Amino acid sequence: MTPAIAPIGLGSYLVVSAALLVLGVLGIFLNRKNIIIILMSMELILLAANLNFVAFSSAHADLSGQVMVLFVLTIAAAEAAIGLAIVTVYFRNRGSIQVEDVTMMKG
Amino acid sequence: MPSVLGDYAPVLVFGAISVVIAAAMLGMALVCGQQKPYPEKVTAYECGFEAFDDARRRFDVRFYLVAILFIIFDLEVAFLFPWAVSLSRIGLFGFLSMLGFLSVLGIGFLYEWRKGALDWD
Amino acid sequence: MLAQLVFYVFAAVLLLSAAMVISVRNPVHAVLFLILAFFNAAGLFLIAGAEFLAMLLVIVYVGAVAVLFLFVVMMLDIDFTQLREGLQRHAPIGICVGGVLFAELIMALSHWTMAPAGVSVPLQAAPGLTNTAALGTLIYTHYVLLFQACGLVLLVAMIGAIVLTLRQTGSGRRQNIEKQHARTPEETLVLVRVPLGENVLEQGGFLRPQTSYYDTAVPGSYGSTGQPAVEKEETGA
Repeated sequence: MTPAIAPIGLGSYLVVSAALLVLGVLGIFLNRKNIIIILMSMELILLAANLNFVAFSSAHADLSGQVMVLFVLTIAAAEAAIGLAIVTVYFRNRGSIQVEDVTMMKG
Repeated sequence: MPSVLGDYAPVLVFGAISVVIAAAMLGMALVCGQQKPYPEKVTAYECGFEAFDDARRRFDVRFYLVAILFIIFDLEVAFLFPWAVSLSRIGLFGFLSMLGFLSVLGIGFLYEWRKGALDWD
Repeated sequence: MLAQLVFYVFAAVLLLSAAMVISVRNPVHAVLFLILAFFNAAGLFLIAGAEFLAMLLVIVYVGAVAVLFLFVVMMLDIDFTQLREGLQRHAPIGICVGGVLFAELIMALSHWTMAPAGVSVPLQAAPGLTNTAALGTLIYTHYVLLFQACGLVLLVAMIGAIVLTLRQTGSGRRQNIEKQHARTPEETLVLVRVPLGENVLEQGGFLRPQTSYYDTAVPGSYGSTGQPAVEKEETGA
């Protein structure tokens, strides 16, 4: 059984995934004040991981990579839900979502 | 792989048709409609006085809670699809594992029902 | 050839929209570009043969998670211009760090081989199954523990979201549905003959229906604490 990504090659997928990961990290780095964009960048990073999983799964004709993607999707959705809930509650209590102000939460 | 892409060619056709229809609706409105905007006309109508603030209003948090619960149950249903397709091959064990999964989420459902997260008022 | 062409189109649009997500000023536009990025990632999944996951990405991410982000962006109406102010300052060093990271990743990718032990036992499903059915044969039996852990994660997310965002305001009126359905016109309606030309307040004010109005309210909600059957409301004019 020839892998489905044979005409494209594993390397192309990995390069795309690496670029996506770098963009996600860059997003966290550049938008340090805006926590919503930070959460979106985390989704991009998880998407890069998923892309890697799918590429390897297809290249090796091994389905466990795709099962892992299913679980990662679940975790990512749960993380987005809880993260945005925290943002909402934080905005209600303090009236802003400045990341610097979050240090007031300690103690 | 050409075969996979060939399988999804109808989806491409549907997508192209929907793009054409949407573009036609917007484009016809743009071409056929009379458009003579001037500043007085394009401002928000506020019964005679100046607009107080932005038109964007804050949603109630309850919409957000409904959206979260929708995501959770959306994922639950996403897990049901492969289970339903492969039920004849995974036997009693697969059936019971899905029942365990559903009962865990059923506990969450009972919790949110009891807490009143599903009540609107 | 066709697969390569489609791959490059999807990959290019994916990377461009991901770059737009982190660089546009308006967060609503960022969410829309995130949707576009997920859509193109679904296309890449499709080319790699993961059909079920591609559809799942469209359903769960485009349909739910992105909408959740959009909700939050519109729910917290924030002055987003001031959140953007550090962007120009951090951009050069950020691009340097990103470039180094990308170069290192490419170097790692180009000088890397798979350990032979890793590929010795591929988990293949029986041939002839569709992608969804093949996934189903694995998830519920071989990966049953991870599957149950997913259920627990979803449970925690559900309970956490409720605990964090649910506030009992008590401002609304909730009805006891059975009692409300059991009401009859006799205990609900009162016909009052009002003399002409007289003030309503002299007739006892506005009349609420009799006690059943208070009976049907759920205890603790609005309308359940009213004592009298007829209450006087201050509506002067």
